[in-house]
Amino acid sequence: MELSQFLQNVLNGLAIGSVYAIFALGYTLVFSILGIINFAHGAVFTLGAYFTYTLVVGQFENNGLLKGINLFPNGSPLSGNPAVFALATLIGAVVAGLVAVLIERLAFRPMRARGAEPLLALVSSLGVALVIVNLIQLLVGAEIYNFPSDAYGQVQPALSFHIGDRVVIVRTVQLIIFAVSLVMLAVLGYVIGRTKVGKALRAVAENPGTASLLGISVDRFILITFFLSGFLGGLAGTLVGTAFGVAGPYFGVTYGLKGLAVIVLGGLGSIPGAVVGGLVIGLAEAFVPAQYSAYKDAVAFALLFVILLVRPQGLLGRAQIQKV
Amino acid sequence: MTAVSTERATVLEARGLTRRFGGLVAVNDVSFDVREGEIFGLIGPNGAGKTTLFNLMTGLTPPSSGTLTYRGHNVTGLAPHRIAALGISRTFQNIRLFRALSALENVKIAQHVRTGAGLWAGVFGTARAEERRVEERAWALLDLVGLADRAGELAANFSYGDQRRLEIARALATEPRVLLLDEPAAGMNTAEKGQLTAFIREVHDRFDLTVLVIEHHVPLVMNLCDRVAVLNFGQLIAVGDPGAVQRDPKVIEAYLGGE
Amino acid sequence: MSGFLEQYGFLIVTMVQAGLLGLSLYFPLQAGQLSLASPGFYALGGYVAAIMLTNPAFSGLRDTLGNGMFPLTWLVAALLCGLLGLFVGVPALRLRGIYLALATIAFVEILRVVSLNLAVTGGAIGIFGIPQAFGFQDRWQYLWLFGPLLLLTLLFARQLERSRVGRAFRAIREDELAADAMGVPPTRYKVLAFVIGAVLAGIVGAMSAPFLNTWNAKQGTFDASIAILAFVLIGGSRNIWGPVVGGALLTAIPEVLRFLADWRLIINGLVLVVASLYLPQGIVGALQGVRRPPPPRRPPSVPAVVEAPGGGA
Repeated sequence: MELSQFLQNVLNGLAIGSVYAIFALGYTLVFSILGIINFAHGAVFTLGAYFTYTLVVGQFENNGLLKGINLFPNGSPLSGNPAVFALATLIGAVVAGLVAVLIERLAFRPMRARGAEPLLALVSSLGVALVIVNLIQLLVGAEIYNFPSDAYGQVQPALSFHIGDRVVIVRTVQLIIFAVSLVMLAVLGYVIGRTKVGKALRAVAENPGTASLLGISVDRFILITFFLSGFLGGLAGTLVGTAFGVAGPYFGVTYGLKGLAVIVLGGLGSIPGAVVGGLVIGLAEAFVPAQYSAYKDAVAFALLFVILLVRPQGLLGRAQIQKV
Repeated sequence: MTAVSTERATVLEARGLTRRFGGLVAVNDVSFDVREGEIFGLIGPNGAGKTTLFNLMTGLTPPSSGTLTYRGHNVTGLAPHRIAALGISRTFQNIRLFRALSALENVKIAQHVRTGAGLWAGVFGTARAEERRVEERAWALLDLVGLADRAGELAANFSYGDQRRLEIARALATEPRVLLLDEPAAGMNTAEKGQLTAFIREVHDRFDLTVLVIEHHVPLVMNLCDRVAVLNFGQLIAVGDPGAVQRDPKVIEAYLGGE
Repeated sequence: MSGFLEQYGFLIVTMVQAGLLGLSLYFPLQAGQLSLASPGFYALGGYVAAIMLTNPAFSGLRDTLGNGMFPLTWLVAALLCGLLGLFVGVPALRLRGIYLALATIAFVEILRVVSLNLAVTGGAIGIFGIPQAFGFQDRWQYLWLFGPLLLLTLLFARQLERSRVGRAFRAIREDELAADAMGVPPTRYKVLAFVIGAVLAGIVGAMSAPFLNTWNAKQGTFDASIAILAFVLIGGSRNIWGPVVGGALLTAIPEVLRFLADWRLIINGLVLVVASLYLPQGIVGALQGVRRPPPPRRPPSVPAVVEAPGGGA
């Protein structure tokens, strides 16, 4: 493989891998604190993308209840330069976080209160996902929505640089994704590692019973975790939507499934694991040779299967010692 | 009280059993013999490694090094069900009954290794004779522990003391020659402890078993056991006749400041 | 009567089908294994039948066997799914809980992507023009196939429950370690439960291919895994009728609500949420919860004294 092709693959892989990582972080946060997989995460991801679209474009032409509505006939105030676009993204992510909190309140908390079997929480979160995704479809239709190319201002769509006589292209949107992922990771790492809130979150994840005895309001921290998880999910959704278009209300499903592969590969409940897992899968997908590109989607699951057989605790997870 | 005969065969032989968990050495180079038909006690302060030693002997945890021989077979690192098939059965410190199943079911299940009906025999109903035997034997064992009148009750609903008896009945259902009891008297009052001691003796005599008992309550052990081994920080510090062990200065030192 | 069957035949067959798929998840669940692999085996079974019934390579066999081809497809599907179940199950069932569920999800996805890309499975379009089984003219006639299969499966399940193998499953489900210590080999029985589920799903798939006329990768998706899980959890996971009731109901509800058109799936989702909240034991569990099981009867010939064991090493 030529160097330029290699570099291109690495760049593409890191870009998509960063998105996987951000998305998986949301999954892993909830898993580390509740020990369950929140299947509504993919729906929150989708919601984030759609909501940011609403803020930045606000035009719905596809077949849905809101067909024909144009919120910003003169262009959205949140479109046109990087700063306001960032603001729109942030708002979209916050809304996603709030929806996640709502989901926790409506679907998860009552289960906890009844001491229900964890499997039921899974089914419940799936029901929620179904509701959200189909509500979106009902409102704005199932076809693709694209962000206009000037949404974040008059920026070059891509940078290119030359290696020998070949060109390697870095799309601006990929750079944005890198930057956002790094920032998110740093912020999250700081919050969880250095702040009192983070310490409390870790305590609740470690042992909710003890944590509550120590005066930590477990419910409140679960809410905070869900908010963060939804925020990250919505953020990832917006990034994907900006880069590839919002391909219909079901586009979160593939990410939802791949997200599972990411967190298992990295180690369930491990935050650095989510990042490592995401990047590994992103890179693996990018290096799939062109003639097998149809099998790209299977790469994540093949990796998932292999890691489960070889090292179920994942790359960065701790081996579970069974207490007898 | 049977006299301890030095002519009795060795039924279990532990040599250099060691188990490490990361940096922690839970069981450290433990070697001892258990003779056929004796009641062998295992005592030591909390955290001394007694349960881990049981786990090593019953296949729940593989040893980091060392060997275990049972009637001349090397059984080191065998899976628990293989060890049960060979005739070693046990109860658990924290009681691990099948809680959502009835007492009768618990005892029936443990007869698995002595029966042989496969999938098709079960589906086509051709194992009726075996099923009847399993059923009868289960009831008989429940009679033995006095729980037959509550055969259909869920194991989780029994009192603590009754659960311990049920667990012993279940262990007996595997038709063992060696029975390992992990703190069978925990949580019992003096009267109950006395009853349990008598019960263990009865079971030992009736079924011609070799019994190993982990116990905290030293008087119970002294009363019941033919020989005693003392573990401290994973190491064997004394083995022998209960009286002698009790007077051993190393043992006294290990327990000083403890219970 | 015939008007009713014509109108609702398809729906009724689909309800029975759903019940059978629910049972294919029920068997591994009996041994405590949450396997979401059924749609994968269902899809595989369907592809086996579709290929055997349409691919030119088998035309000679089709001419020789005539209608006998159909039962042959069920047999081949059962064998193939059993083998694949063994192959996948042995390594995967060393995992517990959510890890196993995830491994089975991965399995289904891999199968789906592979089937989308192979020529023999018709790629993304799939296989169409699958002939009607036994020359059936109406959809409801498939009840002659699915109905007996359901009854046989229920009978099998009931017998299994009362047998030594069924007890082994329950022990493993309750406490795998204690079961092991009491002489029940966990891996062997977990794999057996998994393979039974796989074979059942495969047979259902093979029967469904002619029923649906076409077969493609959409038959084996993650959505289907979750739908089947819902059948079992909502219907009741501790009783053989649970998956059947759950499957029938959750298939019928969207149909009954057809008039709600686009709101249909939203209602479906809400049903899942509400049912998991208020029916934690499932419908059958809730119905049964009121009645206590009768106490076991003591057999007349219990020995007065338990004999000392002759067994052991």
